[in-house]
Amino acid sequence: MNTEIPELGRFAEPALLILVSLSDGPKHGYAIMTDVEAGTGRPMGPGTLYGALARLEERGLVEALPPVDRRRPYRLTGVGETVLTEQLQQLEAFARLGLRRLGQVR
Amino acid sequence: MIRSALLRCYPARWRARYGDEFASVLEERPLGPFEVADVLLGAIDAHLHLRGLDAASEHRKGFVMSLRIGGFAALFGGLFWFIGLAGASATDADGLFAGLAVAATISLLVAMAGLSAFQARRYPRVTWAAFGLPAVGAIVSLVGMYGMFTVGDAPVVGSVSPWEIWMAGTLSMVVGSGLFAIVTWQARSLSRPAATLLGAAAVATILIVPTLAGLSSFLPEAFASVASVVVLLGFAAGWAGLGVSALRLDRARPTLEATPS
Repeated sequence: MNTEIPELGRFAEPALLILVSLSDGPKHGYAIMTDVEAGTGRPMGPGTLYGALARLEERGLVEALPPVDRRRPYRLTGVGETVLTEQLQQLEAFARLGLRRLGQVR
Repeated sequence: MIRSALLRCYPARWRARYGDEFASVLEERPLGPFEVADVLLGAIDAHLHLRGLDAASEHRKGFVMSLRIGGFAALFGGLFWFIGLAGASATDADGLFAGLAVAATISLLVAMAGLSAFQARRYPRVTWAAFGLPAVGAIVSLVGMYGMFTVGDAPVVGSVSPWEIWMAGTLSMVVGSGLFAIVTWQARSLSRPAATLLGAAAVATILIVPTLAGLSSFLPEAFASVASVVVLLGFAAGWAGLGVSALRLDRARPTLEATPS
């Protein structure tokens, strides 16, 4: 099963976290970092954040909005939403498989 | 100070795009060893990533150029082909139309190479295999034309005359264009109707040539003669159509270039 966002290599996981963070509305870089940290309990460094963000923007999965002061918000594009939905559905199916094998769900 | 030093580790082009907001993020929280290491690794990645993007951009320029050259060559090749062969059959001005036929054959050879290079991005093996037969045919056809200009009808290899070499090469080119059309149809990157027309012309050529050459009476000769003109037109229109669709795709280059490779 391929749970990676295509062609993002080691940035696949941070990219997925960023997409999930943007799924409830636009956020700027620092807001994404704190949101990801709150959601996963793990910090995301600024280098990792912008490495992933730049790749997501190149692939048209997120887009930058006009900056407010020095902060620039990002939002999901239509393609980004589709890719995220597919990724989450794959992960959900994978999680169900694992839990079923563990006897946690029927 | 440490923040601006960290920011300067990133490439200038990256800083021009993300510098302000990145600096703002760095100022939002205290910098610990984790953040510093993460930013330095990010800077190395940004250098490598931008270098990779430059290489990819050069690669894209290459295939966009092959599309443009192939498109023009297919368009003019199709037109020259029809005018050259139809004109040579209908008038006595052989020199002019033979020159056009040479130009057409060279143009189609360039078109096949250019459009194959473009289509090979997705189906390299099949595309280059389909390129082989018509390309060899075009070269043999040119050799035959050169023979006709230099030695006329005199046999050059055993009892084979330059005209026969030209005919064998031209037929290979036409039939091989059918293979090229099939690959183009499958690749979906250029006009499918034009590929269908080209493929149909190639198949029709296989059907009518035995009758025209007096080897078969499968088709009435009068019908085969008329059909040959239609096939010639279809062949030329098929190539010209592929050329037009390639040039249209070239015009849409910004979209093409935005597609992740």
